[in-house]
Amino acid sequence: MKIVVAYKWAPNPQDLEVRADGTVDASRGKPAVSEYDPVAFELARRLADETGGEVVGLTVGAAAIDTPLARKAALSRGLDRLVLVADDALVGADSTRLAAVLAAAVRAIGDVDLVLAGDSSVDVAEGQVPLTTAAELGWLGLGRVTAVSPATDGLVVERDTPAGVAVLTVRTPVVLAATADAVVPRVAGMKDILAAAKKPVEVLALAALDVPAPAVTLATLGTAKPSGGDRQAVLFDGADPAAAASQLVGALRSAGVL
Amino acid sequence: MGSGRRRAPPDDDVGHIPERHTTMDFTLTDEQELLLSSLDELLERECPESYIAELDLHHESATSFRKALHEAGFMSLGFPEEYGGTPCDAVTLVLLAERVCRQGLNNGFGLELLQAMDILEFGSEAQKQEILGLLANGRVPFALGFTEPGAGSDNSAMTTSAVHHDGLVTFNGTKTLITAALQSKYLLVMAKNPDTEDPRKAISMYLVPMDAPGVTTNRLEKILWYTQDSCEIFLDDVTLPEEDCLVGVKGNGFKQLMRNFEMERLVIAATCLGQAQCAFDDAAAYAAQRVQFGQPIGNFQLTQLKLTDMAIKLENMRNFVYKTAWMLDRGLPLKSQGALCKRYCAMSGFEVADDALQIFGGVGVTVGARISRLWRDLRGHRFGGGTDEIMVHIAGRQIVKDHS
Repeated sequence: MKIVVAYKWAPNPQDLEVRADGTVDASRGKPAVSEYDPVAFELARRLADETGGEVVGLTVGAAAIDTPLARKAALSRGLDRLVLVADDALVGADSTRLAAVLAAAVRAIGDVDLVLAGDSSVDVAEGQVPLTTAAELGWLGLGRVTAVSPATDGLVVERDTPAGVAVLTVRTPVVLAATADAVVPRVAGMKDILAAAKKPVEVLALAALDVPAPAVTLATLGTAKPSGGDRQAVLFDGADPAAAASQLVGALRSAGVL
Repeated sequence: MGSGRRRAPPDDDVGHIPERHTTMDFTLTDEQELLLSSLDELLERECPESYIAELDLHHESATSFRKALHEAGFMSLGFPEEYGGTPCDAVTLVLLAERVCRQGLNNGFGLELLQAMDILEFGSEAQKQEILGLLANGRVPFALGFTEPGAGSDNSAMTTSAVHHDGLVTFNGTKTLITAALQSKYLLVMAKNPDTEDPRKAISMYLVPMDAPGVTTNRLEKILWYTQDSCEIFLDDVTLPEEDCLVGVKGNGFKQLMRNFEMERLVIAATCLGQAQCAFDDAAAYAAQRVQFGQPIGNFQLTQLKLTDMAIKLENMRNFVYKTAWMLDRGLPLKSQGALCKRYCAMSGFEVADDALQIFGGVGVTVGARISRLWRDLRGHRFGGGTDEIMVHIAGRQIVKDHS
């Protein structure tokens, strides 16, 4: 089984600054593997170990995503090899464009059975890329995945849905987006980090992928900080718990919450 | 921080600064960056402040965290590859020790590795396998039984005896202030052969099970280092087969023990640095939010003076620790460097914690305030691993010798 882990090399959200106009300045963010993606690495590694498969890392973005540190950071997380598309033509690319490039790269890798990804990126967090990639490939795409295991003719996939846990059998090829708490990813040790420098890396030229020009492009009209809500900060004296509870219920009723 | 690397010389010398002026490089290597970021993940997951506070409150050892460290490969750094180890230079080791201790965990990383290295270097195959197995389970494999009621830094006054007879060794004597012995399976006993006159050849190293007949203990309650117990240990006719308990060569005990002393001093210095940084960060954050007279106390120059001097001490400690580690990695003679580094970092680390506590005021000594734990634990490093004064004794003699 050939598994592709699609991940993002993204700035650490702890370093992001929100400007006064509500836009986010990511320029000081120290880049790392987007923190929602290590679950995909872990699920992929476990599945590959179980089935004797190969795990190929894949990331696309601006030229700056290809550094020795970035390569080793991904390769130390259980990948067998890495494929990159790093081109400044992708600076500021929207999620539809990134998905189109990812899909083209998956086709270039060839014979892929499964694409695994985190369900969202830590910086943009639109949560659209995995399923748009599935659409670009013409494959089945499933989000909210919490577990995946091999079956005789495909995979058994568990999904955490509002209605409960759904267990499905799916045929490959398929794109799965894992929830951030699907599994506890292992941390890379010194052995993994040292081995990462010796693993193969292939850089695909964006031009050679022949990604069709997007039919529609997005234009952001404005950004703003989310509203903080109309908080009233009402405090009830808890000296008499029964009275405080009754005051709380009364206040919630009058606010129309109950 | 490329301690083991040398940069490639430039293609031509025109316009380039000569290499000897460019090798002082404080940049972390990719490997160090990635290892520290792995460690951060592990600390966030397995060693949050709530966990450390709970251990401190109940006087328990950080077993589950050490086990997690082992599973992630941190507990075999620097071990030979045949024992599952990976290469690790001294700079990387102190970076990791500093980072774990910056989390607020005293003696959080490094010392067990150094102890285990003694056994991996000098022990029998059976001893090596036993110690590696204990490390893998997060256990403290052994405590170092060195200090005695009448002997500490003055090792010539040691009286614990080890009499070899009929393939057996019989131990008698008392060890005291032994750290972590009650949670360890073994005691690494330093004992004297009473028949050997030359004191330098009298001391040997032995691995004695803490549950061997004749070993009794008396717990010593103390006011710091709650995650490591301390006790007296009485050895009354403890008799063990020589091949099981002798570590390395008979009579070479002190030499074997000294082998890792420089590195031990360095790890202690890094421990002080990490904990002092933790204290500083807490105090600076508190100064920024504690309001008195209508403004944060960080706005007052007396508080700023404290924070500034603390920051200077931290910078000095960091430079001292990293440079000493770099010297070790380069194979440069340390001479008095290790003792100077340990003395400076233990003293300055405690001064930083003391000023941090002062910034907190009364709230700092309430139960549950992290700064109180850091203050207590840092105080212990002014004598643990050799007192401030014995460091003067070591360094001072060397300095005078170098100038004679």
